[in-house]
Amino acid sequence: MATINIDALVNDMKTAASGVLKQDVSALRGFSERQLKAIAQQTKLVATGIATKQITKETQDFFLDSLEEMALSFVRTLHGLLMVTIEKVWNAVVGVIWGALSKATGLALPEPVLGD
Amino acid sequence: MVRLVAWRALALSLCAALAACQVQLAPAYDKALAEGLSQASADSMTLLASAAGGTSAGTYASRRDEYSQLIGRLEALALAAGARPMPKNKVGDAINRLLEKRGSPALEDDDATPPSAHAIRKVAETFAKMRDTDRKQGVTAFEVEAFKGQVRIYLDQAITYENFLER
Repeated sequence: MATINIDALVNDMKTAASGVLKQDVSALRGFSERQLKAIAQQTKLVATGIATKQITKETQDFFLDSLEEMALSFVRTLHGLLMVTIEKVWNAVVGVIWGALSKATGLALPEPVLGD
Repeated sequence: MVRLVAWRALALSLCAALAACQVQLAPAYDKALAEGLSQASADSMTLLASAAGGTSAGTYASRRDEYSQLIGRLEALALAAGARPMPKNKVGDAINRLLEKRGSPALEDDDATPPSAHAIRKVAETFAKMRDTDRKQGVTAFEVEAFKGQVRIYLDQAITYENFLER
């Protein structure tokens, strides 16, 4: 029976997780910076438009309410993106662990379920 | 021959076990939806560009069909985005509890809807407001700029999320 090399397994898990994280964190950072900048610009635009009356009474409340909704929608999207990243990291790490276990035992072991 | 079959059975069961280890915390990627969203994004920018200088209620009729088609397509895309099953998992609840502890919104009230569906619906609502204002009194150039800013923010959220699902 093959044995499991702990150091090698830890390294393999770290490599699998960091590979996903490196790529995804960069994408998440870019999205967040883009969104925060755009929401800040929109806030300035709405404030200027209301002050100069170029945003009319007809749309004023709509744009004001929308600023809060956009921020909430950004947080909701970021939460959704994080769930995708967690899923990818979990699957990468579990793939390494189960690969090592199966190799060492030669058995198809009962699988873990995330969150149980 | 019997030995070969036994090995194949073992390999298959191992593959099945490994595959079952995989978990899903977000909906599946939908290529047609991502492409539809990309096309709707281009059409949105075209409509906004055509109204960039502001509009008057007197010329609304010439834009009515364009509004209707775009809003209808966006609503259909929102429906398609929200119709996919959203995996429910205890880890999501654990993360929400952590977010709550840190004072961040937990978002537990809308776990069943992907964020892109919400964002696309908001784009449709933004164009509906623009259409209603256009019909009633026309929209100023500044208002068009504000509608555009809002549409871009929501579209960025929806497109980023949908593309992120390709994993």
